Amino acid sequence: MARFPASPIAGAGLGLRSRHYREILDTRPAIPWFEVLSENYFGAGGLPTYHLERVRELYPVTLHGVGMSLGSADPLNFEYLARLKKLAEQIEPAHISDHLAWISIDGRHVHDLLPIPYTEEALVHFTERVCQVQDFLGCRLLIENPSSYMGYKEVDMTEWEFIAELVKHADCDLLFDVNNVYVSSQNHGFDPYEYLQALPGDRVREIHLAGYEEQDSYLFDTHGYRVHPPVWELYRKTIKHLGPVATLIEWDNDIPEFEVLVDEANKAQKVMSDRETAA
Amino acid sequence: MTSLLDMQRMVRDAVFETGEDGPALAAISEHINPSNGFTAAEHLLIYRRAILGTLVRALAAIHPVCKRLVGEEFFDAMSRIHARQTPSESPDLGDYGESFADFIAGFEPAADLVYLADVARLEWFWHRAFHAPDEDSINVRALAEVTEPDMENIIFRLPVSAHLLTSDYPVQRIWQVNQDDWTGDQAVNLDEGRVRLIVWRRGHEMRIDTPDAAAWSLLSRINAGQSLGEIGTAEDLHNLDELLPHCVENGWIAGFELQH
Repeated sequence: MARFPASPIAGAGLGLRSRHYREILDTRPAIPWFEVLSENYFGAGGLPTYHLERVRELYPVTLHGVGMSLGSADPLNFEYLARLKKLAEQIEPAHISDHLAWISIDGRHVHDLLPIPYTEEALVHFTERVCQVQDFLGCRLLIENPSSYMGYKEVDMTEWEFIAELVKHADCDLLFDVNNVYVSSQNHGFDPYEYLQALPGDRVREIHLAGYEEQDSYLFDTHGYRVHPPVWELYRKTIKHLGPVATLIEWDNDIPEFEVLVDEANKAQKVMSDRETAA
Repeated sequence: MTSLLDMQRMVRDAVFETGEDGPALAAISEHINPSNGFTAAEHLLIYRRAILGTLVRALAAIHPVCKRLVGEEFFDAMSRIHARQTPSESPDLGDYGESFADFIAGFEPAADLVYLADVARLEWFWHRAFHAPDEDSINVRALAEVTEPDMENIIFRLPVSAHLLTSDYPVQRIWQVNQDDWTGDQAVNLDEGRVRLIVWRRGHEMRIDTPDAAAWSLLSRINAGQSLGEIGTAEDLHNLDELLPHCVENGWIAGFELQH
């Protein structure tokens, strides 16, 4: 089904951020793959595209986006999807991912991943849209679980039940964000291990790790810190359960020196290697 | 059960509402689970803060000089009002901010900074030029091969990255002395007269060029879609034979087509 010649990804990858372009291209660090934020390269020119192409010559990349608004009651934005498809044809990502969320309604975009109510109606709607997008792009999508700070009263199922049903009906893959599950479990009071056990594990193609921020009495997903100990703990259990799934260190705010990211990636790599040794 | 559409509209209305006792926040609160010691409204307010914060940071990232000119607190308050009033219509956050300069022009508390709106315009054009698609320069050989009867049907075009800006204030100078790496003279003379700028990108090089009045007039007419025949009748452009090559050499004219 995959239309784009894909280089398989494995091991601990890093998000490609502009402040590290120079270092990556000059030193060619031993990072197995990079994740690219799709919308940052929609301009299709200039320095961003130039650097992406140079990086792509050296590394496999994945495309990760926040703009599909798959959970929105609005019609799909095919202009957005066309830009994404063009970018994908140009850089041939290993895969493309977006979120179990909505970011727009009546054409107004909030640029934040809002949770959808996990209802039968939303499931049918979300499934249909994932199928449409997969048909349009010619490849399977990876759908990522969001971190959330609110839950709706009127729901028919849990988030993990919703995801299991979605995979069944849309034949999509998953991006399992361990940090997001931990953040949501703390904010809503559910057991992250129950979530993990319920996942269709054979469909998880990528894992995300990031550092949350502790607010007054909730956890906020800022991607601005090192991965916290309880998230490492959940990650170890995840890898034990799923096997060594390709893992990304995400860092979007107060982006540190490249070596800090490498250090985090090495930790994730060690978790994967330990599991292999133990198996 | 509330439909997905209605639920999402309620969330949106509560996100962009002002204050914490409005009807939209009350309406969505009926549908949100209070948990973890939070009321339903407090859950929604986490999103309101995050969303407005994202839009404000996006405007600040595009307009660093404006932010420096008015200070962080003022910029934050000003851009927050704009973010509430002005929907983002694209899934790409990089598309947000096009009408910010117009908003500033009508923003009473900033009225003393008469040049601020034009500085914002300059920064927006810079942002757009930086992210514009790449393109080849004009095909001079093909241009030379256009024969006499077709000449007046030539429609030139500016580089896709190019934006024309004119201002009563020396916005380029203001922009320049407020760059982080600027070490030269800080003095700005607000009375130096009208400036005419073309903000664009040549290859990877960002440029703010200053065409003279005649070149500016030519570029403006090209930008408005006039054919060479129409431009030739303009009274202020009596020296096209020199002006055109001058603009082409500077890269300000990037292509042409023949009008049918």
